[in-house]
Amino acid sequence: MNPMIGKELRQRMRERRGWLLPTLYLVVLGAVVIFFYYFQVAMHAAVQGSEIGATLFLTLTYAQLSVLLLLAPVFSAGAITIEKEQRTLTGLLTSLLTPLQIWGGKFFASTLFLILLLTSSLPILSLVFAFGGIGPKQLILATLTTLFVLATVSSIGLYCSAFFRKSVHATAVTYAVIIAITIVSAAAFGIAMSHWTTQRQMAMAQQRSPAPPTPEPPPLWVRAPLYINPYFLVTLSFGGADDWAADGVPSLAAFLLLFLLSFALAVRQLRNSGEQT
Amino acid sequence: MISVHELRKRYDGNDALDGYSLEVSRGEMFGLVGPNGAGKTTLIRILATLVKPDSGHAGIAGHDVTRDPFAVRAVTGYMPDVPGVYQDLTVEEFLTFFAEAFHLRGARKRAAVERALSWSGMAERRMSYVEQLSLGLKQRLVLARTLLHEPKVLLLDEPATGLDPLARIELREQLKRLNREGVTIFLSSHILNDLEDICSRVAFIERGRNLPGEGSVLTLRSAAKDDVLTCEIEILGEPDGITAALRAFPSARLLETRGNIYRTEISGGSQRAAELLRHLVTSGVAVLRFDPRGPDLEDHYRSLFGGKPS
Repeated sequence: MNPMIGKELRQRMRERRGWLLPTLYLVVLGAVVIFFYYFQVAMHAAVQGSEIGATLFLTLTYAQLSVLLLLAPVFSAGAITIEKEQRTLTGLLTSLLTPLQIWGGKFFASTLFLILLLTSSLPILSLVFAFGGIGPKQLILATLTTLFVLATVSSIGLYCSAFFRKSVHATAVTYAVIIAITIVSAAAFGIAMSHWTTQRQMAMAQQRSPAPPTPEPPPLWVRAPLYINPYFLVTLSFGGADDWAADGVPSLAAFLLLFLLSFALAVRQLRNSGEQT
Repeated sequence: MISVHELRKRYDGNDALDGYSLEVSRGEMFGLVGPNGAGKTTLIRILATLVKPDSGHAGIAGHDVTRDPFAVRAVTGYMPDVPGVYQDLTVEEFLTFFAEAFHLRGARKRAAVERALSWSGMAERRMSYVEQLSLGLKQRLVLARTLLHEPKVLLLDEPATGLDPLARIELREQLKRLNREGVTIFLSSHILNDLEDICSRVAFIERGRNLPGEGSVLTLRSAAKDDVLTCEIEILGEPDGITAALRAFPSARLLETRGNIYRTEISGGSQRAAELLRHLVTSGVAVLRFDPRGPDLEDHYRSLFGGKPS
């Protein structure tokens, strides 16, 4: 086994946040369930159970993704910078550990903690089965896509951690990337969509043709910004096989590309980080 | 064992190393001396495979540090000037992790950890957290860590930094013991007395370059063979007698006076020193102490760089 993994896990679980964060995380998700349920019952008394289940599941999945996107940089972006700050990176770089092993240990430890959080929330997510409308397939798909997104964010965080000297800089840049892939990508989609809709309406008005019976899906250039949006990828897990083929595969490919790119850059950076120590 | 040839390294347009060359033989305890910013740390970091040189060659035990860094790391132990430790691991966990990082497994790993614990005298404190150790003990732990894989060469950058006098003495003894066991030791230090005590040779470096001529490397512990000796003479009574006696002795030159102590340079080796002592006594000087020595490192340093060691 990679010795880095044992060391990292030992250190992580000795930190106070090792038990504090899972507790806070479950409290937040529990609060979302309680708030949502009372809101639904109070506002829409006549709504069907399956509808409550589907909406609650979507809300919980988004809440979980949001909390974990906030937490992921805490584990990954400081992972290598802390070795630089504590001057322990020289010990690693002058040992027989390869940059790949150092990266692997850091990645595994930071992702494993996120997996721990994801797993601990499964009982809360499973509450939706009581309402119906959501099956185990959706639960598994939503969990797997969330994990895939988090692995990519962790990989980006590790690259920032290998690149910068200080944890504060690495963490700030990782959060900037998260804002870019969530808010900026959604805004870019909104602008592209609005532009395309206006163009289409003008073209139809010029041709005086009636609106098509089924709405035409937006073209690739309009949808493209969403492919790097974590919420979009997770939402696809509720759709059918057609949605996956049309948008799921390109979105997964985009995240995979981000993951591999940041992984390769981080390992390359680690190879040359003796200069930074 | 360590070979450095025409090594160059630039940082932000400044030459950290500018064609530095050096040879260290197997089993030597070799010191590297120079003012701050002379390039000592850069040289050691290149040898430790942390930094890549811009040009030139550096090798340890026949392995090139750039082309074959893992082979170099397998035979080298490196301790930086401010060594980092994992505060939240126990002493045993710390050593076990690094034993695994050097590919030691099973019985070999356990034996290496036990050896390091016993060598560093920390067997009793194996379950203590590293953060509970004093600076001296942490330094000892890091040195023990560098020895886990039984390296042939130790690279130590200012190993005595921050240590109190007792810890420094202990470190010197440990290094001597390792050297007797056959480990080649290459260290930089500003504490010239320490280097003089433990090193067989020292090299000088200034602005990343070798010093010109013979002054580049100094062989220590050979005072008896040297022509020029420095002698401290302590006397009782009036100073007039000794100044006149020294003036009358052609091979002696007064360097400085501190109270009743006269620092003198004697040309002609031990024989002339004995003659000077006889001359002083017959001239009626009450000699309390007569201490002739070969060129000491501090003198040599002063003559090379001027002023006091930085």
